[in-house]
Amino acid sequence: MLSRRVVVCLDVQGGRVVKGEQFIRLRDVGDPVELASRYEEEGADEIVFLDISATAEERSTLLDVARRTAERLFIPLTLGGGIRTADDVSLALRAGADKVSLNSAAVDRPTVLEESAARFGSQCVVASIDAKRDGDGWRVYTRGGRTRTELDAVEWARACVAHGAGEILLTSIDRDGSRAGYDLELTSAVVAAVDVPVVASGGAGSADDVREVLESGGADAALVAGMLHDGSTTVRAIKELLRSSGLRVRAVA
Amino acid sequence: MRVGVFDYGAGNLHSLIKTLARDGATVEIESDPSAAARADVLVLPGVGAFGHAASRLAPGLADMRSAIADGLPCLGICLGMQLLFDSSDEGDGDGLGIFPGRVKRLEGGRVPQIGWNTIEDGADPLLDAAPLETAYYANSYVCHPDDLSSVHAWSTHGTTRFPALVRAGRTVGVQFHPEKSSALGVEFVRAFLREAAR
Repeated sequence: MLSRRVVVCLDVQGGRVVKGEQFIRLRDVGDPVELASRYEEEGADEIVFLDISATAEERSTLLDVARRTAERLFIPLTLGGGIRTADDVSLALRAGADKVSLNSAAVDRPTVLEESAARFGSQCVVASIDAKRDGDGWRVYTRGGRTRTELDAVEWARACVAHGAGEILLTSIDRDGSRAGYDLELTSAVVAAVDVPVVASGGAGSADDVREVLESGGADAALVAGMLHDGSTTVRAIKELLRSSGLRVRAVA
Repeated sequence: MRVGVFDYGAGNLHSLIKTLARDGATVEIESDPSAAARADVLVLPGVGAFGHAASRLAPGLADMRSAIADGLPCLGICLGMQLLFDSSDEGDGDGLGIFPGRVKRLEGGRVPQIGWNTIEDGADPLLDAAPLETAYYANSYVCHPDDLSSVHAWSTHGTTRFPALVRAGRTVGVQFHPEKSSALGVEFVRAFLREAAR
């Protein structure tokens, strides 16, 4: 049977991993190639590089980072941030990504998901959805959470899958950076609505938060970032907790 | 030893090339299937869609098939494994037919299957050399061989059990991605190359 995954996300800017606090102060955390390899050794199941500048100039820097990482990393690598077209997807895959995540571009033009899935297969097309609580439901936001759309997040997740996305990366804007735990309600609602894997993101403050979103939220995978970079926990500690709670995780030698 | 990687133009080959190039083997990336089949070892990589890959394979299908029949060691990964079968529900075109059978859509769980799955009932020298307990999968289709004795390991997704590893002599197909299955996955590929060199 499939194991639950712990996915480590690294925000990349100017060829370095950075950690922002509400996009205000950016702190240099390290070299992406080194960090990705270290997290693989610790037992991370996947690595995500998120290009937080998402500008054209930065794109070639990110692709170069992906290339150097893929030569040393022997677990899957996802690239996200600023990818707009199936040709962008192609460049990312050729550079060394195994999956590519699309966010604002998919909202602007959902057929980019179809075009990418037709050329490269659904398994490498990740629909990244940023959702914020709005009344009884959740609203989709784009441009790094700055632009409100009219889309309902659960409906949009369903639409992304219909358009060819093979995985949903679901981020709660309300919880992102809060360390208050994942949005379990949002996660369960999307997990119930789609039949592709769902990666929960936003709000992880402890290993127990990860356990909770996999167990109660029903997510297939949990994305973790900040709490690893500041050393408050480790991938190894998270996986030990998951295993002792009876969840199936990959054993690491 | 020259390792020919048939590149049908779809995806990431970096980790695979790095994995193959470890023991002094020369890796040649070939978009021409006939040229790929002239190497000492053939690798069919694993990203893309069956119909697209089959159309790229078609001009050299006969050459590749006869090279494998003549004993060319071959490792097919994911879609590359599926190309070793006759045909697929995913798209038109002929596979190599080394393993009689058809590729069908995976049912019974969340599809695509993405993530680390358990290797069950493994009985193959490559798994003795690289005892993978779990391996990384990213697939929506699985192989249905006519002859189940060619299946040397299984995995289960949801309610469906499917072949993880098939073998016919020196031809091995794996539905998982060894080049993405961390240290033991890399060891699996190296074990295949050592076997191919014998």
